[in-house]
Amino acid sequence: MASQFSGALQLTDLDDFITPSQECIKPVKIERKPGKVGKIRIEDDGSYTEIDQTGSETRLEKAKITLNDCLACSGCITSAESVLITQQSQDELYRVLDENSQHAQAGNQSMMKEIVVSISPQARASLAAAFKLSIAATAHKLTAFFKRLGVHHVFDTNLARGFSLIETCHEFVRRYNASETEKTSLPMLASACPGWICYAEKTHGSYILPYISSTKSPQQVMGSLVKNYLAQKLGKTPDAIYHVSVMPCFDKKLEASRTDFFNDIYQTRDVDCVITSAEVEKMLEKEGTSLSSVEDYPLDSILPECPPEKLVYNHAGGGSGGYLEHAAKFAASILLQTQVESLSYKVLRNQDFQEVTVSAEGKPPLKFALAYGFRNIQNIVQRVKRGKCSYHFVEIMACPSGCNNGGGQIRPGGDETQKERYQAVEEVYNKEVEVVDPFYQQEVESLYRDWLDGKDTDKAREMLHTQYHEIEKSTSALNIKW
Amino acid sequence: MQGSLKEIQQLTGHTDQVWCVAWSPSGSLLASCGGDKTIRIWGKEGDSWVCKSVLMDAHTRTIRTVSWSPCGQYLAAASFDATTSIWSRKSGEFECLATLEGHENEVKCVGWACTGNLLATCARDKSVWIWEVTADEEFECASVLSTHTQDVKCVKWHPTSELLASCSYDDTIRLYREASDDWESCAMLKGHKSTVWSLDFDKDGHRLASAGADASLKIWQEYEPGNPEAIATPDNIPVWKCVCTIAGHHERPIYSVSWCSLSGNIATASGDDSLCVYKETSSEDSKNAPKFEIAVRQKGAHSEDVNCVCWNPVQEGMLASCSDDGSVKIWQLLKE
Amino acid sequence: MEYLESSVDGERLVPSFMDHQSLNKFEAETQPDVLDSELKVLQETIYDLISDIRDPEKAASLEDLNVVSEEGVTVRRLLTGQVLASIEFVPTVPHCTLASIIGLSIRSKLDQSLPQKPKIDIFIKKGTHDTADEINKQINDKERISAAMENPNLQKLVASCTDPEAME
Repeated sequence: MASQFSGALQLTDLDDFITPSQECIKPVKIERKPGKVGKIRIEDDGSYTEIDQTGSETRLEKAKITLNDCLACSGCITSAESVLITQQSQDELYRVLDENSQHAQAGNQSMMKEIVVSISPQARASLAAAFKLSIAATAHKLTAFFKRLGVHHVFDTNLARGFSLIETCHEFVRRYNASETEKTSLPMLASACPGWICYAEKTHGSYILPYISSTKSPQQVMGSLVKNYLAQKLGKTPDAIYHVSVMPCFDKKLEASRTDFFNDIYQTRDVDCVITSAEVEKMLEKEGTSLSSVEDYPLDSILPECPPEKLVYNHAGGGSGGYLEHAAKFAASILLQTQVESLSYKVLRNQDFQEVTVSAEGKPPLKFALAYGFRNIQNIVQRVKRGKCSYHFVEIMACPSGCNNGGGQIRPGGDETQKERYQAVEEVYNKEVEVVDPFYQQEVESLYRDWLDGKDTDKAREMLHTQYHEIEKSTSALNIKW
Repeated sequence: MQGSLKEIQQLTGHTDQVWCVAWSPSGSLLASCGGDKTIRIWGKEGDSWVCKSVLMDAHTRTIRTVSWSPCGQYLAAASFDATTSIWSRKSGEFECLATLEGHENEVKCVGWACTGNLLATCARDKSVWIWEVTADEEFECASVLSTHTQDVKCVKWHPTSELLASCSYDDTIRLYREASDDWESCAMLKGHKSTVWSLDFDKDGHRLASAGADASLKIWQEYEPGNPEAIATPDNIPVWKCVCTIAGHHERPIYSVSWCSLSGNIATASGDDSLCVYKETSSEDSKNAPKFEIAVRQKGAHSEDVNCVCWNPVQEGMLASCSDDGSVKIWQLLKE
Repeated sequence: MEYLESSVDGERLVPSFMDHQSLNKFEAETQPDVLDSELKVLQETIYDLISDIRDPEKAASLEDLNVVSEEGVTVRRLLTGQVLASIEFVPTVPHCTLASIIGLSIRSKLDQSLPQKPKIDIFIKKGTHDTADEINKQINDKERISAAMENPNLQKLVASCTDPEAME
């Protein structure tokens, strides 16, 4: 099975000798005992028994690896794939749906989970392109599809992304103002891409992490909204909600598994399960349904007062979320007191490396860049390391062409090439969809007020920001890949 | 056998195994590097070769490969410490200009494109990187190519165009060219039965020699679109086919192959301590079925594995080799 | 895109392809096994050296664990005159993750201890490890070995296997 992780993560896989059939076995160093050790016998069932000198037998235990072990390990990442499949996949969602219907039949209402599905705009666009539907129709048909399976709420993650965008903008201005005294505040590197975060933590550690924005990605803000705000509204504990997100990217599964997003008290994750666009396609196949033939059903709203026709929208600034777009315009208005209507993107070395300069007379210009794909990330990282990065903000994404080209998106069909499919997704992404500015979105504003006690509060920081951890290189020679 | 190799001089100074030797484009300087983490520059003074300078302190582990830029002003060194250093001698002395970082682990090889504007590196992390040399002597990553499935052993640029070849522990050879917005692998050459250690193009770049752990030397011929042999070239991309396999002359892996642009002779260096020189003989169909015969089999050229062999680009028949025994040797091919 | 050499007419194979092992067999056939005393001594010396190596995970030696055996060590002369020693070992379990460390330890010990520096091939005995081919390739790749032996953590681990007393 070819790895589905983004290129940046695949590169950190240094694992030459773990074949797909042989999962990573974390070597355990055994204390040396004096004298001779006995022999190990392989049993018929494949287990191992150690026989010591006195002839007594001990059954040996196989070491088990969890996804968290993999995330905390500086070694390979792809052997985590089989772990992911069991913990985060459409099969896992089906398992929870089955359990729910069994509890329903048995009359155990209290045992049932409230199942929530949050769909990202990139995944929505991938399904729209694959089934040649409009964005609105895709959103409505997906809602109906999931509800027929027994899902209780279907949300759009754009609401959460509004928070990510606003927090990114504020954080940028804060960092810019602090840059005189705080060396690592600029350039600020965007944080929405989990492939990039994982690569930065595993490979570059302490010298690059301070530059990364602390703002949570839309998926994880959605996690806060569902497990905190919605849970309270519904009068449920976070563990009584099963939260599934539909994402364009495999790396999002790793993000959801981070301990930072795990609630210790209730032993539950903010996002319990991530499924990709392609996995939704598999679910449709399993159900024998074409998305086109599913009826339309309006999306749910986290806020009851929001009318259904206002639930399908998007943000400006492209398929990777528009972090640069929003940060540049916001910074221009706050730092340069200039309103910028449209930004001009200058393509540099390649299409995945672009820059934007915002200037006003008498003030130093603000420089922004997009750097997508591993090769462009490299140049940014090296420039930051050498103190030669002239940008103030960089929107970094691990995938070439950004999130609409994510590894979890539906593969092209027939004669279509990957590039053609990507272009179709990119085209439909913003087609016939209202573009909303989150700063002027009423729902966002009322959530800041009612849920987070305002902007820049402790609660807002807890719900909307996160932190990163350097992963120390393993010093145990037993698991060095050479 | 019609010739022999005359040992001109043994160059001593390295204190550990020597991995690579490389002639400067003018043929007047020889660079060598190895396990002692130094680069030695050798030049001729009077009748003998002497060590002109020792470049050190740039790497913390073995220096695996050195490569001269086409203008001869820069030297690149690939190291097991995961970095590649770039040295300039514009000021007269060699100075470390830049250190290229990014590979996850041991960098195995580095090479300059014929224009001098591009550099390629490869590593155990399975990737091949292409670096662009900017006007202000900065080196920026232009592409990361992860098409090999294993450790990449060697990269070699085409002598006249921006076509790159690499070979790997995965037993294959890959060719790369620049496509619309990125570099891409445009061919995979399969045939070796084990690790392919080394590659070299001939003078015009229509043929490629490869050698590896299967102790064989293979010659690959380029077939361009519209070739008279009517070999299909899908998407109008030239196709490369193995037209000759030469085996049985080495008893251990071949670690290095060098194709002389002056004489057309091919030299190989092996873990059996020997050097071989092959000469092309006339054949009815030299393009599709070339014939090579062994001209020299220099047993015991060194007292341990011979890691690298390199023809002098200007003085025909002059050859440099280096070995695990810590020595560098200069040879002259004598005709019968 | 894959282009196999066999599709081109007129290719010459001179002689047919030989990998290491078949080449060595070829040697053995051409030089019937008259092991001169020098080789015999080397063979015994090699076994003595490697039998003492400690398993990376256990306190026992490779000899005690039956990882190495006297029959597993063969020594012969190549056509070019060099001596080639082949060492075959049997990992304790078929998925032993440390088989490559055992290979590294054997090579390291021999490189350090044998003044005559023979060529050395190290193989896992056929059928005794799930990924024997992959590990065999790795533990006979001189570049990988060189690089591994520059890693201080691996160096320490290998040293603790090859020279347990010094580590006490």
